[in-house]
Amino acid sequence: MTEISILIAYGLLVMITILLQVLGVMTQISMGYVMSSRDDNRGTTGMAARIERAMNNSIVAMTLFAPAVLILEVLDKTNATTLLAAQVFMIARIIYLPVYALGVPAVRTLAWLAGFLATAVLYFQAL
Amino acid sequence: MTPELTALTLAALLQYLQFALYAVPANRELGPGFTMSARDRPPNNTMSDRTARIGRAFDNHFEGLILFAIAVGVIQMSGQNSALTGLFAWIYLIARLLYVPAYAYGLRPWRSLIWFIGFIATLLMLLAALY
Repeated sequence: MTEISILIAYGLLVMITILLQVLGVMTQISMGYVMSSRDDNRGTTGMAARIERAMNNSIVAMTLFAPAVLILEVLDKTNATTLLAAQVFMIARIIYLPVYALGVPAVRTLAWLAGFLATAVLYFQAL
Repeated sequence: MTPELTALTLAALLQYLQFALYAVPANRELGPGFTMSARDRPPNNTMSDRTARIGRAFDNHFEGLILFAIAVGVIQMSGQNSALTGLFAWIYLIARLLYVPAYAYGLRPWRSLIWFIGFIATLLMLLAALY
């Protein structure tokens, strides 16, 4: 797996997270509300709300991870370290989603931190 | 420039347009006294439903745009542009253009359907990059 294919895989993971979030709103509120213009802000609770927060965080992580990978590719600066960092990021974010959905506290924060630091490694390698 | 890059540039410009479409009525309704403040307190006035919808459409396009940018970036970087990926890119752009009035006018279920078309177009581009 290259950094680019990991980026594609992460994009797909985020899309799955988005669908899970929609599914949460659908089951907790209704399909009608999902398709409405949502003028009354009806929030979810419990797991659906946690998935929504996980989704928002995954999108933030994506906006930091994607430029790093694309910069490394353009500069042709990919190496063993960047591949490892990208793999760590991906594994951390795969763990992050179910752990947040289930509400496991410390592991979630550690997984987030691992992904965050792995992204920082990518930027330092690009410099 | 490839059709994918053209569509991406236009999609980013669409986001500027969506910002303007939201910012102008939001400032008129909430007042610059609130919008230019640090927003520590909730606004005294409320936004109209239409403005709030345009705001939600704007927020939603950030998500779509990031995923679409990755799809285009990856395809461009790996030189996998094809007639199909070009077509998907334009479908994405048209879907996101239509999404704004569909949300503003609360068209149901069209807004969800249009969102889904843009979502699928991005998904197919990511999958096309893998194979």
